[in-house]
Amino acid sequence: MADIVVPPLGDVEEVKVVRWLHDVGDEVQAGEAVAEVEAEKATFVIEAPVHGRLFAILVPEGRTAAPGDVIGKIEEEGG
Amino acid sequence: MRTVQHIPLGLVGYGEARKIQRELHRLVRAGLVEDVVLSLEHPPVITLGRGANPRHILADPEFLREQGIALIPSERGGDVTYHGPGQLVLYPILDLRRYRKDIRWYVRSLEEVMLRTAWDYGVSAIRIPGRPGVWVEGRKLGAVGVYVRSWVTLHGMSFNVDPMPDGFSYIVPCGIYGAGSTSLARELGGRVALDEVRGRMLDHFARVFGVRLREASLAELKEAVG
Repeated sequence: MADIVVPPLGDVEEVKVVRWLHDVGDEVQAGEAVAEVEAEKATFVIEAPVHGRLFAILVPEGRTAAPGDVIGKIEEEGG
Repeated sequence: MRTVQHIPLGLVGYGEARKIQRELHRLVRAGLVEDVVLSLEHPPVITLGRGANPRHILADPEFLREQGIALIPSERGGDVTYHGPGQLVLYPILDLRRYRKDIRWYVRSLEEVMLRTAWDYGVSAIRIPGRPGVWVEGRKLGAVGVYVRSWVTLHGMSFNVDPMPDGFSYIVPCGIYGAGSTSLARELGGRVALDEVRGRMLDHFARVFGVRLREASLAELKEAVG
């Protein structure tokens, strides 16, 4: 199981999850856009760290998270 | 000193500009071309950013259609905004890994470009904490809305030089009620040449980001990639 993490975005303490681009159960490729977070009028795209299936969305759309937070999980294909 | 290619596009539709940005984003991200900044104006359009509340569009959709003003959802950050002729738009496509991997720094830098441009004309624009953009006595002079993928930027900033004043009455700019909008021309009580403002804004862009600008065309850039 791999974590989808909000990366360090510089001097940003909090982001809002504005969009999940896949549903739980969807197949995602490594590097594919999986979610968008927003801070300071900037949308930042979060990419899948590995190839697999989106297993869980831990922070739904409209909720906030901090850099370093795990916002979702990907079950690795064949792993 | 790093070079950023400035591509003046003139008047270009929102959808077309987005297509151009996406293509350039792909090239910059792959390291095939140097960073780019597009300068342009949009025909009248209202766009809804990722944080948009549709209630912040005040005008009736039918009325907007009759006026020829399109409503377009956009992946940029932020709420509802208006673009139209007389508003100067800069869309930098920068690989922030070569500058600073800091979203706040990037947004502040875009604001800085607009602030310095306003100050050149003696207009005392400022930042307001918690309200990205640049403001004159509580009225919005310039807006920021950015999209970042793999640390390469899209979208950018729009600076009201002398746009149709009605445009902003159709919306609640950035979702802030009672804030209102203004333009450089309105603050100065006269007309301002857009080309001159563009020149100053690009100079400030170069200084704020510590780059040298080189003018290029889209065709030239595509040719270089092959």
